[in-house]
Amino acid sequence: MESKSPRPTAQEASAALVDAEATRARLAGRIATPSWFFVSMGVAIAVQVATVAVGLGDKQALDAGELGTPWLVAAGLAVFAAVAGVQLARFRRLNGVWLGGFASRVVLGTATAASVSYPVALGAAIWAAYGERWWLVALWSLVGGAAYALSGRRWMHTYRGDPAAHARGESLAWLALVTAAAVGGLVTLALNA
Amino acid sequence: MAELDEHVVAPARLTLMTTLTAVSDAEFATLRETLGVSDSVLSKHLGALEAVGYLRRHKGVRGGRRTTWISLTPLGRRALRAHVTALRALIDAID
Repeated sequence: MESKSPRPTAQEASAALVDAEATRARLAGRIATPSWFFVSMGVAIAVQVATVAVGLGDKQALDAGELGTPWLVAAGLAVFAAVAGVQLARFRRLNGVWLGGFASRVVLGTATAASVSYPVALGAAIWAAYGERWWLVALWSLVGGAAYALSGRRWMHTYRGDPAAHARGESLAWLALVTAAAVGGLVTLALNA
Repeated sequence: MAELDEHVVAPARLTLMTTLTAVSDAEFATLRETLGVSDSVLSKHLGALEAVGYLRRHKGVRGGRRTTWISLTPLGRRALRAHVTALRALIDAID
């Protein structure tokens, strides 16, 4: 590797670009998710949706103007936060890279498919819980978890097709804000439990 | 016509910076293995690019060991984009 090079010819410039892009594609192709990653994320989201639905959709509590079971909601959020944290640490250790796009789009679910499917599943599960249709709560929780996991798989495929465009995701400031809001919500729910 | 960047014109540096666009941060050993170069060669290029503000190094931990992590700076991204534009213009001028 030379540090000083004369002005390249067109052929050299072309070869250098091809080599650089091939090396980038090789790194992106080697980036893998830890074992059981998508299953664990799907289950964590399913648990989180179910706990929010059961915790907030309690018909008797809502009819009485109360909040339901906030500790259950907090427990679901805690499960998700723990799974997400562990999986991000495993991803970083496994690959030797940090991928902001992966953290935000796959783990925090800001990819388009997850950001649409999650509120739909959550709303449907809360509605089912309010109607005391517990089998529907379970079904919508599973649908939400599966859609979240599939959205993550889809993002990985998209990332490998154009790593430079998808590597970074949202800014650290935005992720910090979202995390702070989630932690704040968790603490508030725990204090109200 | 865009000018070639003297700090990125070496193919190895172009490859190094282009590879870093695929991630937010990369650990030193991961970068070394991906590029297929020695520690000293990689350190030399990292030092040169860090000196002009194109990338930054910071200490982190991987698997319980303290390691060095590298990322492109916004200035480095802009410089790379401009350099690649100049290279493509060079190629197109011949075609």
